[in-house]
Amino acid sequence: MNQLLQLEGVSKSFGGLRALHDVGFSVEAGEIFAIIGPNGAGKTTLFNCIAGAQKPTSGSIIFQERRIDGLRPHEICRSGLVRTFQIVKPFLGMTVADNVRVAAYVHERRNAGADAVARAMLKQVGLDDYADVGADELNIAQLRRLEIARAMATRPRMVLLDEMLAGLTATETEAICEELREIARQGVALVVVEHSIPVVSSLCSRAVVINFGEVMAHGATLDVIRDPRVQEAYLGKVEAVAWS
Amino acid sequence: MRDFAAVAIIIAVIIVAFAAALTDGYYMDIFILTCFYGTLAVAWNLMAGLTGLMSLGHALFVGIGAYSVAWGYTAHQWSPLVTWPIGIGLSIAVAIVIGLLCFRYGLKGYFFAIATLACGEIAFFAVSATTALGRSDGIILPLAKNPELHLQFIAKWPYGLMIGSFLTLTLLAGQFLMRSRIGYYWRSLRDNEDAAEALGVNAMAMKVLSFAISAGVASVCGAFYAHYVAFVDPRSVLGVDISVQLLVYAIVGGMGLLWGPLVGAAVLVPFGMFLRNFSFLQGSEVIFYAVLLIGLALVLPQGVSGWVVGRIGKAKAAAELPS
Ligand SMILES: Nc1ncnc2c1ncn2[C@@H]1O[C@H](COP(=O)(O)OP(=O)(O)O)[C@@H](O)[C@H]1O
Ligand SMILES: [Mg+2]
Repeated sequence: MNQLLQLEGVSKSFGGLRALHDVGFSVEAGEIFAIIGPNGAGKTTLFNCIAGAQKPTSGSIIFQERRIDGLRPHEICRSGLVRTFQIVKPFLGMTVADNVRVAAYVHERRNAGADAVARAMLKQVGLDDYADVGADELNIAQLRRLEIARAMATRPRMVLLDEMLAGLTATETEAICEELREIARQGVALVVVEHSIPVVSSLCSRAVVINFGEVMAHGATLDVIRDPRVQEAYLGKVEAVAWS
Repeated sequence: MRDFAAVAIIIAVIIVAFAAALTDGYYMDIFILTCFYGTLAVAWNLMAGLTGLMSLGHALFVGIGAYSVAWGYTAHQWSPLVTWPIGIGLSIAVAIVIGLLCFRYGLKGYFFAIATLACGEIAFFAVSATTALGRSDGIILPLAKNPELHLQFIAKWPYGLMIGSFLTLTLLAGQFLMRSRIGYYWRSLRDNEDAAEALGVNAMAMKVLSFAISAGVASVCGAFYAHYVAFVDPRSVLGVDISVQLLVYAIVGGMGLLWGPLVGAAVLVPFGMFLRNFSFLQGSEVIFYAVLLIGLALVLPQGVSGWVVGRIGKAKAAAELPS
């Protein structure tokens, strides 16, 4: 019963389009968990449902033994579950430190305290040199780090990371992966949507594969990516050979 | 800290301008109207520039404040101690209702602007048709037996003192808010509502709060106006002209900073009054405004205040560079 997040029968339809159907899985405290699946499979929709940006059509989502489906996004964040966005959403009219400060106010009401938390988080993700520049001056890798710093400033128990590494160079990817491992070591569970199989297999203990909105496989990462159905549907024949 | 320094300088300028205006009634008139529109524009920008909620119906709250005073006084001889709280309370209540409805249905940007414009116009026509409120003829506030208790003064300076103090108070309170959690939440909503909500910001509550504070300040300005001019009619306090004027001041002064719109008002209000001195230029302010706006949009898209702050920033950066 030490499941931190538990989904049961989660479905989401947009009009006639069934984006998610009967999705169920669970994530334990402190683990790094992967959600994989081809483009359009419903991964971002799933994050939207968990984080409260969209309401599931049916099913239940339980976080820390409390139902969170139907709660507003800010309530879910305040309960300890925070998400980042596939398309980064910085506050472009504010400085980098102030971006994080907004998030820090979740637990820190004092202005000086919130600023201190913000700067500590920026140091953790290696953006401390940019604290006082405008967020509009950061490049994409830095904006991804900013998303992590903001999420961590809310003092979460779980972070949902949506394609955090897409489009980054190998060096940038490795650096951010190391930061994610460090975050997990601090006891924060991470749920990552990620396409790169090497990254997933090195980072994540367990995974769920979503295809056309349905769970196709669920379990230990290595078992999941070796599953023939998964290779067929997602990895494609060429890559399947390469990774089997 | 730098923000507070800027506000301190502006308050010093307000005090000096008031002292200078003591010498001449015409100058005091300019000072009073500049402070009146300046306060309104700052309040409007609290919503528009700093929370991202563009209202085109702020005349509604000016009108509620002004009519609370005019009606309360003429119909019941109520003192400002009664009429001001009524006006402020009613404005805040109306703002909360409009806000809850608009935000509940996710009205943003142009749609929110049009919804607020519609509310303002509805009030305009409703008041214009209500006999108890003087219909479109308006209400004249006659001289009271004890005029001071009803904020009726022969000299102009007490009005200047009132509105100048209120502007100062608005700037100080606004600056305090902008440097606190609420101000950060407002700007985060302006920049990206989805991200703000995901990071724990209660968007609905924060937007309604911004609207309510802005409406409350506007209502005080309206109440002040009723005392100062001793006459209210739908055109002068509920007209869409006021709402649009605030927009112009804010765009000219700059919407990114709390005090930006005040700069716009301080440039344009005296300028408009100056133009009115020449009878052959009657009504030409509108044309000047339009030309000015187009020019500014091209040359200073951040407004006067944004340009000044940008220049200061550049000068500092240049000074820090090793030569
Ligand atoms: N707001 C929406 N309205 C309608 N259809 C949507 C919406 N969001 C996502 N979809 C559809 O749902 C499916 C899953 O999308 P998404 O969750 O973004 O996939 P993924 O993140 O796995 O690439 C896609 O077919 C997409 O077009
Ligand atoms: Mg996606």
